[in-house]
Amino acid sequence: METAKVEVNKNLQPNVDASKNSKRVKKKKSNFYKKESRAALIFILSPLIGYLIFTLYPFLFSIYASFTAWNGLGSMNFVGIDNYVKLFTDDYFGRSLFNTLFMMVGIPIGLLVSLMLAMGLNRKIPGTTTFRVIYYIPVISSLAAISVLWQWAYNGDYGLVNQFLSVIGIDGPNWLQNKDTVKPALMIMAIWKGLGFSMLLYLAALQSVPRIYYEAAELDGANAFQRFKNITWPMVKPVTFFLVITNIIGGAQMFTEVNIMTPTGGPEYSSATVVFYIWQKAFNNLQMGYASTMSVVLGLIIFIVTLIQFKLNDRSSFEID
Amino acid sequence: MKKKSYRIVTALLLISILLLSACAGGGSEKASGSKSDDGKKELTFMFRGGEAEEEAYGKAIDKFEEENPGVTVKMIVTAADQYATKLKASITGNQVPDVFYIEPGTVRSYVHSNVLLDLTEYVENNENINLDNIWKFGVDTYRFDGETQGKGSIYAMPKDVGPFSLGYNKTMFEEAGLELPDKDTPMTWDEFIKANQALTKDTDGDGKIDQYGTGFNVNWVLQPFVWSNGGDFLDETQTKVTVDTPEFAEALQWFADHQNVYEITPSIEDAQTLDTYQRWMQGQLAFFPVAPWDLATFDTELDFEYDVIPYPAGKTGESAAWIGSLGIAVGQNTEHPDLATELVYYLTASEEGQQALSDARIQIPNLKDMAAEWAADDTMAPENKEEYLQIVEEYGHALPANNTYNAEWYDYFFTNVQPVLDGDKTAAEYVKEIQPKMQEFLDNARQLEEQAK
Repeated sequence: METAKVEVNKNLQPNVDASKNSKRVKKKKSNFYKKESRAALIFILSPLIGYLIFTLYPFLFSIYASFTAWNGLGSMNFVGIDNYVKLFTDDYFGRSLFNTLFMMVGIPIGLLVSLMLAMGLNRKIPGTTTFRVIYYIPVISSLAAISVLWQWAYNGDYGLVNQFLSVIGIDGPNWLQNKDTVKPALMIMAIWKGLGFSMLLYLAALQSVPRIYYEAAELDGANAFQRFKNITWPMVKPVTFFLVITNIIGGAQMFTEVNIMTPTGGPEYSSATVVFYIWQKAFNNLQMGYASTMSVVLGLIIFIVTLIQFKLNDRSSFEID
Repeated sequence: MKKKSYRIVTALLLISILLLSACAGGGSEKASGSKSDDGKKELTFMFRGGEAEEEAYGKAIDKFEEENPGVTVKMIVTAADQYATKLKASITGNQVPDVFYIEPGTVRSYVHSNVLLDLTEYVENNENINLDNIWKFGVDTYRFDGETQGKGSIYAMPKDVGPFSLGYNKTMFEEAGLELPDKDTPMTWDEFIKANQALTKDTDGDGKIDQYGTGFNVNWVLQPFVWSNGGDFLDETQTKVTVDTPEFAEALQWFADHQNVYEITPSIEDAQTLDTYQRWMQGQLAFFPVAPWDLATFDTELDFEYDVIPYPAGKTGESAAWIGSLGIAVGQNTEHPDLATELVYYLTASEEGQQALSDARIQIPNLKDMAAEWAADDTMAPENKEEYLQIVEEYGHALPANNTYNAEWYDYFFTNVQPVLDGDKTAAEYVKEIQPKMQEFLDNARQLEEQAK
């Protein structure tokens, strides 16, 4: 351990000096480049090793584990595709997959709201900085802490949400204990949490739209909606594409909020997501092998969905020059 | 320039982290509890719990370190909900702590996978340990002969036994002029409902009910009613799910009727444990479960008097209750089996350790004679602490999933029970419908256990 550190230091230290002198001492240049490329190698190596140890190895391992009966403690027994066959008749897997997909309905809603917010904050009105900070606070807060807070907000009796609803004359449900409201409740929270991030990206995209387009459109007599449809929307499309992809991947992996807010997976398993079910199987019910099978299938689903999105995006993309 | 050196430092840090983790992976054959250079020995003790536990165990560990010079104990505390995951990860990674908590439900899988050290010989040969003075239920929970739990070798010593008893709001009874429930003879179900109905009312005259009889959480309070009505979740062989008996259905229906027929609980919308616990704390409920780990909190937080009684009895006329437990076990690959088992003794059966835990008021002492003193101590509420000892010695049951390979079959019952509680489905329909599915899960668990052996 120690020696590795020293070696690296030796390699890097002269570079710092060399860069100062490089212009003057031309002859040493090749040596310098060699050293520099060695330094570059080290920079590349660290993420590469990280990828190999923490991503590729576990990935390949879980593919292998998905073909075994393994309780996560003892030895692994190869069982072929048994686990995959079982998946098709697993009632809970179906339910949790449905829940996961259902909660993704919140993604377009969240994007729409954040685009509108971004457009609002893009104007020259006082206090925009304050609002940006307010909307961004949930993004930097810990998801676990937020989940605990919202658990209280959704409380049937004393919760903020129901207190607010009762002010406008609605008798709110016990959000997290009712199988019909638990998914919307989690969706609302996810939208709220993601708002700031999407809004920030949209804001950056909006600010890079050249003013002249709007001026030209106004001269041509385009109204606000036409300007939005023909200028704003196409110009922020790459950001939308990026957000849709990352949101779908994130949505497919939803776990923390479910685990904290509904530790048993909700009434009749109505809030359990796929990852929650995988985690339960692996760590509570001693079926690490079967859990790996589900992870592999989930990974495949995400991969295919993302591929389709890229294809769709290719078809409708265009260049402005 | 500054920026560059910053980057170099970051890169170095990353690399050293990577190498460190690689080293950790490489040295995995050597279990934890390594000898450090100066010949000192270190044991690791992993557990979950609050500050009170940490402090109490600190005292027991001080004593242990005093008696065993050169040995230090490293405590690893985790949050309660992360403990199981963390322990599993350390087992998979071959970094099993020397001494750690286990749940009764994990004994089978851990023994099959050779995670636990057999403590039988040590426990029987240690002259400080008197098994007759430790709760039999507690020790038997961690016995396993490869087939049946409760028999054979001892794989852990009980950290505690946790009888889950029923409490009632004494002040509320007195204000209503009702006769206090008897502490020895359990009420019948009808008597229980009548008392509840008499206490469910609107006390401040605003037309809304603000005082209720009870509000039980089905996950934790259904079992006593099922047992006392002659039903059970499993048959004696622990291989057949028996929730579809009329006795079981009757108990479940009666439980659901608290809300839907007798209306002695907060309404459906409000029936969340958190709420009923809060309501009990605020003195709005007449009956609520009270466990030993609640006593310290209730002592300072409640502004009414309470006491514990047996659960109301169903058809059999006998009360029933469950007893929770956690065990303290030793990893099979520990480098210092003698010291580790000695530490288990200090934590679970030594007078210093038990006295510290008892003083912290978080559990019943494991030592029977000390527990008798604890029960007789009338400076601490509730008065009838004797009830806890009776549950442990006379009428307590283990939780149904404690003796099966996993708890999936059991969880399935509670995950899907809501329609019965809401009155949308009868208990008889539900148990008939759910039994085959539960049986399937149990059969699957048994098959998995065979594979793991």
